[in-house]
Amino acid sequence: MRNLIAALLTLAPGAVLAQEAPPAPETPPAQEAPAEPDVDERVTTTEGKIASIEEQLAELMSAFSPLKKLKFSGYVQGRYQYELTREDGIGGFSRFAVRRGRLKATYTGDIVQFVLQIDAVPTGVTLRDAEATLFVPGTKQNMSVTLGQMKWPFGYEAVQSSSDREFPERTRVVRAFLPDERDRGVRYSGKLGVFRLSAGLFDGNGINYPGSVGVDNDKEKDVIGRAGFDLKWISGGISGWYGHTLGLGPTDAYRHAYERSRIGADLQLYLDFLPLGATALKGEYIRGKSYVSGGAEHFGRPASGWYALLVQNIGLSNAVAVRYDYFDPANGTPALTDPRDATRPASTNAIGTVGVTAIHYFGEHLKVSATYEHPMTATLAEARDPRDDLFTLQMQARF
Amino acid sequence: MKTFIASVAAVLLLALPGAARAGTLTVKGSDTMVILGQRWAEELMKKNPHIKLQVTGGGSGVGLSALINGTTDIALSSRPMKDAEGEKLRTRFNTTGQEIAVARDGVTFYVHESNPVDALTQEQLKGIYLGDIANWKEVGGPDAPIVVYSRENSSGTYVFVKDNLLDGEDYTSSAQTLPGTAAVVNAVSKEKNGIGYGGAAYAKGIKEVKIKKGNEAIAPSAENIKSGKYPLARDLYFYLRNKPAGDAKAFIDFALSPEGQAVVTKVGYFPVK
Repeated sequence: MRNLIAALLTLAPGAVLAQEAPPAPETPPAQEAPAEPDVDERVTTTEGKIASIEEQLAELMSAFSPLKKLKFSGYVQGRYQYELTREDGIGGFSRFAVRRGRLKATYTGDIVQFVLQIDAVPTGVTLRDAEATLFVPGTKQNMSVTLGQMKWPFGYEAVQSSSDREFPERTRVVRAFLPDERDRGVRYSGKLGVFRLSAGLFDGNGINYPGSVGVDNDKEKDVIGRAGFDLKWISGGISGWYGHTLGLGPTDAYRHAYERSRIGADLQLYLDFLPLGATALKGEYIRGKSYVSGGAEHFGRPASGWYALLVQNIGLSNAVAVRYDYFDPANGTPALTDPRDATRPASTNAIGTVGVTAIHYFGEHLKVSATYEHPMTATLAEARDPRDDLFTLQMQARF
Repeated sequence: MKTFIASVAAVLLLALPGAARAGTLTVKGSDTMVILGQRWAEELMKKNPHIKLQVTGGGSGVGLSALINGTTDIALSSRPMKDAEGEKLRTRFNTTGQEIAVARDGVTFYVHESNPVDALTQEQLKGIYLGDIANWKEVGGPDAPIVVYSRENSSGTYVFVKDNLLDGEDYTSSAQTLPGTAAVVNAVSKEKNGIGYGGAAYAKGIKEVKIKKGNEAIAPSAENIKSGKYPLARDLYFYLRNKPAGDAKAFIDFALSPEGQAVVTKVGYFPVK
């Protein structure tokens, strides 16, 4: 550096001299100018200035260093939806919607992580995640304990981000058993080689439990967890949930603790054998008791469901996916007609939904998907399957 | 259903310009590997003028991010892909990616040539980079503060040292980060109390520190790196989204050919074959 500065300073006057000299002015000799500092002095001065700048830069970098650990991310899902008009006049719409407007801040230090995520949509702003995490020291962040509001460690689809999912909404079975996917509680997460374990103690009611949003309505706590594996090309796990929910069943005089439980299994397969792009096959099965549907909790009611999803990437920017999901909201109850209208199926009848979606990625931050879903409700006698096919065109921007 | 078909057609039409994009194969990532990648590209393009390659650096993290975002065809990385990066790739492209080791290297610590310290244990190096050891006299050198040079966190070498030497702990806040191994070498060559690290191929004009293990001091020599005796030996990788085909396959085949592996030796690294 010193040599370079010396060379530059030495060359600078030379460059001036190399230009055509103007005619000498006819002026009397001026008073003798003070002596110019020699090259060594100028180099020393310049080096001092550079050292000073370096110090300031180091200070600035030190001040901004913590900000490197703070990351903001988010996404907006704008949609247009069209549902076929049903014969009974229920449902049927053509509407624009902002389904999700997420903003997330994550600070990750050596042993700490802060996560705060909000969802801002036309109906209001809600808290989605608020997590305080301790990474167990000495585990290279492979083990952690989190306290706050977070996703239930159960299954695959509930935990997957909505911004990554191919279909606009989760399957019917996951929406029933894991509404809003989140709850307040404490969770341990760890991984050892290919094994994964995540388990915790939660309030159990989720974040939008009818009649008690934001706080638990009882002292019952639920134990929820998933033990899984990840061999990269294949991953999966089994999940369990056991707890109770306190409520008044149809025949109860006093509040009664009903069993709230779920068991589940999930599997994901990633294959790269077609020249046009990679293929993924995913599936999940869940059965359990007690769940919230239509704003009411069905105490002790057994239910089950499953889905299978096939995703095919096409080149760098396109993908298509087909999904079938099945949900039986009242196991052991045969298909019935609505007691109020014999032409309609009962709300306890099973529903199978086949859906297809085409996705295009406009680079890293934008994707557009067009999805068509055809639900098929089990019917009996003169009851008809409602015409409730749904088309969704969605544009998602994320950063 | 008609609405759906029309919408799918519209989405696919929008996709066409992207599908039509073709031509230059982009290779991006590790600064440790960028010169090697450029040499391979030059040699291959000389032999096959129809193949167009663009090789740029930025760091392993940058290359792997570009692979995940779909903005590069091949990522150069001086460290294995992290689980989180693999998960992102799987989420976006439903693939686990392809990892191909193309050369071997040994992460080398450099000091100024006037520094009397010739060898350090891994514990001592860890102490220096965590900030627990701040004076050369604590490791048998002169009574002078240690000036620590490091790489930016997008560098694969940065991550390799953090994971394999510092056991995942954070570097000392006094470490000065520099944008490339060449810059680290340059800084150490001018700072008599400096210490830095980088790939073996960059160790020119400064003194390489041997690593003490028991009574033995192991130099980052070709023999020790190839045999794995040198504790900080590592593979250098190509990462791709899918199985290589076309120009990407030609590039990889060339890099792994005897001619390509000769380039590895010429640049200063060690062949994998």
